[in-house]
Amino acid sequence: MITPTRGARALKRIPARDRSDSDAVEVALATSGDAHAFERLYRKHVGRILALTRRMLSPDDAEDATQDVFIRAWQKLETFRGESAFGTWLHRIAVNVCLGRRAQLGLARERYYPDDAPLELAAHPDSGHALERMDFESALQQLPDGARQVFVLHDVEGYRHEEIADMLGTVTGTSKSQLHRARMALRRHLDR
Amino acid sequence: MAADIWTDRLSEYVDGELTAGETTALEAHLTGCAECRQIADDLRVVARTAAALPADTPGRDLWPGIFDAIAPGKSAIPFRQRRPWHANVPRLAAAAVLIATLSGGSVWLAMRQRAVVPPATLSARPPSATPATVIPASARAERTYDAAVADLRAVLDSGRGRLDSTTVAVLERNLAIVDSAVADAQRAVRSDPNNVYLNTYLARTMRRKIDLLRQAATLARAET
Repeated sequence: MITPTRGARALKRIPARDRSDSDAVEVALATSGDAHAFERLYRKHVGRILALTRRMLSPDDAEDATQDVFIRAWQKLETFRGESAFGTWLHRIAVNVCLGRRAQLGLARERYYPDDAPLELAAHPDSGHALERMDFESALQQLPDGARQVFVLHDVEGYRHEEIADMLGTVTGTSKSQLHRARMALRRHLDR
Repeated sequence: MAADIWTDRLSEYVDGELTAGETTALEAHLTGCAECRQIADDLRVVARTAAALPADTPGRDLWPGIFDAIAPGKSAIPFRQRRPWHANVPRLAAAAVLIATLSGGSVWLAMRQRAVVPPATLSARPPSATPATVIPASARAERTYDAAVADLRAVLDSGRGRLDSTTVAVLERNLAIVDSAVADAQRAVRSDPNNVYLNTYLARTMRRKIDLLRQAATLARAET
């Protein structure tokens, strides 16, 4: 499983206000069993966790998965050693929850499109010009699952290819290939 | 076709993941290929756009569902018995500061509102009001604790006349016991500042005194 000590780049993507040391106080209280302190941590971090689960899964599954993330975080609080920011640790749990759910739903590997698949795969064949008007987030949702997963982990969350390959049980070459295909598909939906 | 080879490497190029030799070769290709230059620029924009994507706002409050799962008893004051304190001295000190600060704040609130302070004072504090300070050292925690004790003492003294003599006697006796325990713990911590057990004991004892004073202040206020 993923350890909470890596992913320094991911930490950079967490706004400074979310990395404040006040988390340490709330975490200490929550670890002692104070649910109110944990609620404050929830309210501070829920926005970014919800965005992650929505991008990794789907809008329909995001809220349920987000609740699962915080429940698991509460259960694992005693394992948090403060070696990384609480937000980084929480994001790792969120990634694990998303990957676990995808595996349960059978979405993991079979929906990776092969290396020689056309780059236009992100565009729905029936959507035509309508897709071009969709915003970046909507276009992201149209990506095949494997490419979207890698793109979210690398470009949105800031994980390295080595970390992503470890999470997904694949190799860095596959991660790089999926990222490139996702970017190539998304470049057509830039607001220019 | 040469252009196809390089097109597939453009993401690695914009991420700086090619070797020096590969970078040189690709840049040589870019000087003569406007399409690849455009693609490389687009890929950079895609990556920047992704990194700047905003957080979401939940369509509904997800906390009640989480709370139901983590607090099976659904008590008004969700305080589950876990391992009391993490074995980490700085975090322990930080927690002591927060407890002391919140306790002092609750008494201040009681004075202002002239009303009984409910025990669940933590829930009344908005998330944004959490002190955004660097993790303090134990000494700083003790200073904040001392200030909170002074506040509580002042409130208690102002309402002392409203308590019956037996209650005051019991209270003073208990405070003396706790004071003695706090002093012992402080001496022990000073002689062995990195001892996790001693720091844990000190924090617990300090909290006990804060709780005792808070209850007494609330009682004095309730007697009005």
